[in-house]
Amino acid sequence: MTATRRSLLLTFVLLATVATAAYAQVPSPPAAEFPYTGNRTAVWIVAQLHILFAAFILGAPIFVVISEWLGYRKQDPRYDRLAKEVTKVTVILYSMTALTGGLFIFVLLATYPQFTTWLINHFFLIFAVIYPLLFIAETIVLYLYFYTWDAWKGEMKGRHIALGVLLNIIGTVTLFVIDGPTSFMNTPAKAAEGLSLVEYIQTASLWDKVYNYSWMPLNLHRLVGNVTFGGFIAGLIAAYMYMGAKNEEERAYYDWMGFVGNLIGVGALLFLPFMGYLLSFELCDYDASICPYMMADQLSMFFEMQGAMVGLIFLASNYYIWLSMKRIEGVERVRMTAVTLVVMVALPFIMTYVWTIFPVPDPRSLAVLVPLTLAPWIIGQGMPPIGRITVSSRTVIKVGFLMVVVGNAIWMTPHGFVATQALATEHLELPSDWSFLALMPAKNSAAFTLIFVTVVNYILYNRAIRQGTIVWGKIDFAAQFVLIFLAFSAIWTMGLMGAVRSLVRKYFHTYNLMPDFTAESFTPTLSYAGWWITGITLIFYMVVSFAIVVTLRASEAKAPERAGDPVPAGAK
Amino acid sequence: MGDERSFVKHVIKKGIIGIVVGIFLVGLARALDFPPVFQVMFFTYAMLGTAVFILLDAPSLQPMGGMKALVALLAFYVVLSGVYIGGASFWPQYDPEDEKGKIEKLLKAKRAATEQGKAEELLTRTKALAEKADAIMQRLQSVGGVAMASVPVGADSKRPSGTLPAATGDLVALGKEQWELQECYNCHKLSGQGGKKRGPEMDNIGSLMQPEELRQKILDPRSWMAEGFEKEYDKKKMPDKYKELMEDKDIDALVAYLSTLKNPSVNTPKPIKKK
Repeated sequence: MTATRRSLLLTFVLLATVATAAYAQVPSPPAAEFPYTGNRTAVWIVAQLHILFAAFILGAPIFVVISEWLGYRKQDPRYDRLAKEVTKVTVILYSMTALTGGLFIFVLLATYPQFTTWLINHFFLIFAVIYPLLFIAETIVLYLYFYTWDAWKGEMKGRHIALGVLLNIIGTVTLFVIDGPTSFMNTPAKAAEGLSLVEYIQTASLWDKVYNYSWMPLNLHRLVGNVTFGGFIAGLIAAYMYMGAKNEEERAYYDWMGFVGNLIGVGALLFLPFMGYLLSFELCDYDASICPYMMADQLSMFFEMQGAMVGLIFLASNYYIWLSMKRIEGVERVRMTAVTLVVMVALPFIMTYVWTIFPVPDPRSLAVLVPLTLAPWIIGQGMPPIGRITVSSRTVIKVGFLMVVVGNAIWMTPHGFVATQALATEHLELPSDWSFLALMPAKNSAAFTLIFVTVVNYILYNRAIRQGTIVWGKIDFAAQFVLIFLAFSAIWTMGLMGAVRSLVRKYFHTYNLMPDFTAESFTPTLSYAGWWITGITLIFYMVVSFAIVVTLRASEAKAPERAGDPVPAGAK
Repeated sequence: MGDERSFVKHVIKKGIIGIVVGIFLVGLARALDFPPVFQVMFFTYAMLGTAVFILLDAPSLQPMGGMKALVALLAFYVVLSGVYIGGASFWPQYDPEDEKGKIEKLLKAKRAATEQGKAEELLTRTKALAEKADAIMQRLQSVGGVAMASVPVGADSKRPSGTLPAATGDLVALGKEQWELQECYNCHKLSGQGGKKRGPEMDNIGSLMQPEELRQKILDPRSWMAEGFEKEYDKKKMPDKYKELMEDKDIDALVAYLSTLKNPSVNTPKPIKKK
């Protein structure tokens, strides 16, 4: 089975390489017509599926190796078991990444032959040599990492962790390399003085094309996004396994795993709005017309939907913390300074005003932001009697939820209930005195409020487990649905924003350089996109669910060697 | 049973508070002149908050397993899919038909330059010639071959030139169309409409720049800078792409249109020559 999977994987890589090289030589081959979906949607489905699998196999090893290291350092077998179980699923999904990657190239070549040939010619070294070599190297290291897990333990654990680090280095380099052509399609290099863009691109070096405006922001955005995504999928694995657990020990372990998965997902999620902001900032800086296209015109409602999704994800992750705290004995003793409440409530209003005066990236806004967010700790610790006024953890979390709802509301409030500014009338737009609610300072402050509340909730949780006793395995069963919801919503949001990143190229395959002459180069409706994104998410979910059942449930049924001791309820 | 009863009480209590808050927000929004659609939005936010607070104090869900868990899971996925598709369909939808004609116009010249475009154009011309030949033959047959044989080829071209907008000098109308197609309004305000901060207002640009200077600015955005827009100039806010995206005739038309913009009541900033 394993040998077959490996051969399949290598065959796909080789086929894709040969096909890439051969096709790059073919002059203007005719395009195939994809039935039912049309060519663009066919490419969309395959590309998005490939990216989802790739995101997991690149994101999961980052926290897998950290988890393995924590297990080794703390001598806590739960971390090692988590790392190994996620790796098992990663190995299966790695095959799916290769499969969908090969399929992606074939569909692309068949449906957009001229453009694909043109792109391959521009990045020939990457597509024909560097990327396949990296993929093969990653395959070898991943399998080595997985199959040496039990052999390299004890004294040799350090070597195994080093292999995991190597896997991550190769994975990250692979991501950065393939982001070159991807980001080039959005922001091809800017022409040098006196040259047209077409002339410049013909003479530009490979590095000039790779190191374009959106390359590094895309690298960072995907890197953080992949960890978020991997964390939520780890939560999904835990939820499935918890639901199928046969005894208290298993429930205790998968309850713990779900919590860690959510912690990883949310931890990385906190950075994601900044990474997204950086990417859109660079896109707008590259060409100012991209910004209104995204935020005010054709794609504006896609961003409304994004706001709704991010809001739901933050609500759900905080709800998970709430459910987690409900099963901590002694949580009622945990209190926090009332200054936290004041900061929580004041944050969106003060920061909207500050960022309006000192727009991002003006560092002067930090002069307000930093003291404000640190106030609960500065005043709470060193300024009695104000800092001595405390409130219960329950009150803090409830006010936090209120502010998450307020933050969501600000994020989702549009400039107008119209899909494009051309259709705007005063009956559908914000009154001019309140139009600031739709501008970036308000949106940034909303995002920051969501992040601040989530951080405060985790701090409270941390205090709760230090002062009380956590009863693993006794979490409200609804928490498993919250974990599933988080994974589903994270995948859906990735699909949505992936579509946005592609669509900002407007009617170009490569922005301003290679027009898309097909009849499908228009902006689709959000509803149409919503149907396909949901379909893609469900397909991905089916495959991942199958992978979890095959790798973990099946191996559990065979009663293999236990990776660690059962976790007693009550362990921290 | 007791838990259920207390939860129902809790739902009713929170529901009433939510509705009161929602009504208050609607009243406030109305007083502040928010349009009705935003008043509905504020009420919806109040309901979202209510749902969240009801959920916080909901009784624990009993563990389930086997078939029951599987069915619950599938139902959950169906609901989630429905909610997300419904959510995406709820927002106002952009009509792709608005864009299709625009893209067609923008890409017409570029398409014609491609091999496929040339072949298509050749086919179109051949078809048009064939139709013209058919028409001539029919006229010859109807009025007598000798009389019509003296009609020179291309007599059709003697139609009033006014039917061809470009030939009539209606360059300004075509220029206005280019303003829309190239989305200049995204960065430049004109007649009180359009972008606000990225570029200067254009209402009086025709009084401040000669047509040749306007052409130079479009083709090379570094050649001129608007007074007070130093930061935008340094950040190269104006895209250096129009020399590739636009045909010469499109630039001529846009320049002709901009040259007509002479409204001194608007303070269009002074252009400064940089190159």
